[in-house]
Amino acid sequence: MASRLATQALRELVSRWAILGALALLYLAAAILSPDAFLEPAYVGNVLRQAAPVAIAAIGTTLVMILGGVDLSIGAIISLSAVFCAVQMGGDAANVGPALAATLLLAAGLGAVNGMLNIASPGSSFILTLGSALAFYGLTQLYSGGTARGIVAPGFREFFNQRLGDVLPVLALAMLLIAAAMELVLRTTRFGRQIYLIGSNREAARLAGLPVGGVTFACYVISGLFAGLGGIAVLARSGVSSTFTGRGFEFDALAAIVLGGTVFSGGRGTIVGTVAGTLVLFIAFNLVNILGFNYNLQLVLKGAIIILASAAYAWLGRER
Amino acid sequence: MRNHPSRRTFVGGSLAFAFGGSSLLAPLAAHAQVDRAAQKKQMAEPVDTAKFKKAGPYTIGVAAGYMSNSWVVFCLQHVRWEASLHKDVKDVIVTDAAFNPGKQVADIEDLIAKNVSMIIYWPVDEKAIQPALEKAIAKGIPTINAGGGFTYSPGTTSNAFIDQYVLGEMVAQHFMTDLGGKGKVFAMLPIAGTTAAVDQLAALKDVLKKHPGVELLSAEHGDWNRAKAKQISENLLQRYPKIDGVYSPAGQMSMGVVEAFEEAGRAKSLVMSPGDEYNGWMKWVVKNQKGGAVTFPTRAGQEATKLGLKILAGEPVPRGLVIPSEYIAPKDAAKFAEMNKPDDWWASKLPEQFKPK
Repeated sequence: MASRLATQALRELVSRWAILGALALLYLAAAILSPDAFLEPAYVGNVLRQAAPVAIAAIGTTLVMILGGVDLSIGAIISLSAVFCAVQMGGDAANVGPALAATLLLAAGLGAVNGMLNIASPGSSFILTLGSALAFYGLTQLYSGGTARGIVAPGFREFFNQRLGDVLPVLALAMLLIAAAMELVLRTTRFGRQIYLIGSNREAARLAGLPVGGVTFACYVISGLFAGLGGIAVLARSGVSSTFTGRGFEFDALAAIVLGGTVFSGGRGTIVGTVAGTLVLFIAFNLVNILGFNYNLQLVLKGAIIILASAAYAWLGRER
Repeated sequence: MRNHPSRRTFVGGSLAFAFGGSSLLAPLAAHAQVDRAAQKKQMAEPVDTAKFKKAGPYTIGVAAGYMSNSWVVFCLQHVRWEASLHKDVKDVIVTDAAFNPGKQVADIEDLIAKNVSMIIYWPVDEKAIQPALEKAIAKGIPTINAGGGFTYSPGTTSNAFIDQYVLGEMVAQHFMTDLGGKGKVFAMLPIAGTTAAVDQLAALKDVLKKHPGVELLSAEHGDWNRAKAKQISENLLQRYPKIDGVYSPAGQMSMGVVEAFEEAGRAKSLVMSPGDEYNGWMKWVVKNQKGGAVTFPTRAGQEATKLGLKILAGEPVPRGLVIPSEYIAPKDAAKFAEMNKPDDWWASKLPEQFKPK
């Protein structure tokens, strides 16, 4: 009995932190295969900056996933936020503050729509947020008229792309700080604990008097808000050349979240895991690219990583 | 069509876009490099316009495969502008299939039911809409492909299009001149398998045969995406300690490329090929006085409208009208760039009231 419990605890420990081991191993392999790149601090800074938009958006969605839901609309919110923010900036540095505030308000508002839908129809988050994703893409087209017609304010991109100590871009630092703050929220606040409890057993949480509706609403608002931040991050990293900038980001984010140990059934997951999962994906892509393999191999690799991770978590999480 | 996202996005109503983006869709748009001599002959073939001849007033139907892309937005505005110049054109009706070939078929059928005088279209999937286009022709409504690859089939009366190979060749030739005939380069191309990617790479390779001093290190696919082009360039900068130039005919990708070089401190000696008249790129050319542009004219919409009106008047037109790409030297870029307009914008001769709002 004791040994069974010990095995269970070990499995729990491994499954929680496996992604960090995988990240370390992958980084080591990358450093050996391409030392010029991966042992170069500025390049590591590049990888962190490349990952920032997806990682930031994925952080918000992790909360929804721990809650037992999913948010497929973040790609659409990223697209709309990036276009909207650039339009609000209008090429004038004085507009940066109001533009960022308006963008985050819009993104949180779209998250609130998802929140209300999911309170009204719990358990249907996949189809509800798929529907809202299509609606948000439609709104983006209506709003933009088909062109990413905004003009980014001077200094905005320069600020986020500058490197602290010639190594770490501000955007990458922002991503790390946001991740740390959200990990703290999950671990130390009552709100964080409520998310885990509701995700573990929604009905029991309701019977125990937890504010299931309120927490659900808040998580979707946060997911929308972080997708908005992701849109701003894309704008900061590379500028935007289309009205579908965030297309596909939702699945990169979901892949990163699942890689990080968050499960679709809810109740488990960490922000650290999500960020590590994102980095695993990006390091793998970069490595394939640097080694000169075919682009399509990246897709194969992406699929293989997700399948392997998912299988590993299923194996670690099974009851004996 | 080079900047058409039919080769890069599939959004409305389809889950396909979600699972891995455009690359999965490339086979849908795959075209082998065409037999250029045969195509030239087909293009020159005259259209029998007598069966379409009718008196005005005219209604122009536009069956857009999608509208969510700045190039097609400008293309459509050119249709509207040209229509406004003809008193006998009373209306322009536009449908948007939002990347759904099935909807585009229905849209074309709707336009036929509304008895439009001609149908201008850009396809999501050319083959899927051919039967609907043939129905239009059977009812005496000519169909004109605006900006897509040259289509020689019974459903397409005529084409106003841009030759990707010629464009790629012009870009490559100016690139070789700027490189001085030697150096290590890579190519940044659109989605693998598209006409644009295949023809542009073929043109580059043909030009390279005459310039043995230039080594093509790698051909990459940035999918018309500025962020992706930047990410790939960042990787290549690590992989190759020496890169002298980049062949990148699409301006929005060129912007991602130069940004990666600038951030790596390796932009000073970089030779960029001409891009196109994408405004963000034109602004860069004005500022840096290098690169230049070979145009991918958005006036394809205007030329398609003119073709359609000639067909309705019973005048002779060919099956294919090439809209020639033009070279804009860096010193002339300021005449074309609109410095106070967004990056996602196209240099054009559209009057102010017809520019997108």
